[in-house]
Amino acid sequence: MKPAEASLPSDTEVLVKRSFDAPAKLVWRAYMEADLMRRWCGSHPGWSMPVCEMDMRVGGQYRWRWRSDENGQEFGFTGEVVEVVPHARLVHTQIFDAGDLGVSMGGEPSIITVTFQEADGMTDVATLIKYASKADRDEAFATGMTDGMEMNYKRLDGVLAEM
Amino acid sequence: MKRDIFQAIADPTRRAIIALIALQAMTPNAIAEHFDTSRQAVSKHLRILTECELVTQEYRGREIYYLLEIEKMKEIDKWLEQYRKIWETRYEQLDMLLAELKQKEKQERKK
Repeated sequence: MKPAEASLPSDTEVLVKRSFDAPAKLVWRAYMEADLMRRWCGSHPGWSMPVCEMDMRVGGQYRWRWRSDENGQEFGFTGEVVEVVPHARLVHTQIFDAGDLGVSMGGEPSIITVTFQEADGMTDVATLIKYASKADRDEAFATGMTDGMEMNYKRLDGVLAEM
Repeated sequence: MKRDIFQAIADPTRRAIIALIALQAMTPNAIAEHFDTSRQAVSKHLRILTECELVTQEYRGREIYYLLEIEKMKEIDKWLEQYRKIWETRYEQLDMLLAELKQKEKQERKK
């Protein structure tokens, strides 16, 4: 698969795009069912996912929590489902729960809009994260949240070309 | 007012200006020719880009040329790359999960 693309459509937003080699109804399930969600969101190296509760009806709540294998520190996300269009569109709010990582990340929820578009058995998934403010977005970057995940930084090809 | 690189790229015209001068340094007039907006509007964008330290000016003879600060652009790359990498790690897991789900569907159809 072509690797994910990230861009900044505005001051407060981040857009992530990726294609998957599966029909939309299967990708949709991976976003809606807790046991499936845990399989792909709960397997960052060095982290476990002790909490993955999801009630994915409009007005329903979800709660995700990760724990570091190294020191047991936890952080997570919670939020509420705003819109559900099966196999096509999912909108939910998201609040960062810093747990005991000791970082703050704004109190206002961000709004996540995930759209699914199927063509020839492939599904394009676009995830638009709208932070409550520019400061929140920049803070999401500035905190050490990513450091703990042992990410390797590699130059993002084509950012200039894309702009 | 404090400016930063994210503000610089928040506007589509400014992104287009960045793309233009990434290829070669240009005068404000040459840049303005690429846009329908007024020369003043382009000047304003150039001023913001300069305040964000994303472009610099250079005198060549009587003309002012605008240059892109590539190093500054890399800050944005780095930001996005961290973000992208988190998602890509997850998505690779999702690839595997989806392959498995597809396989299961196939088997169930056979039954």
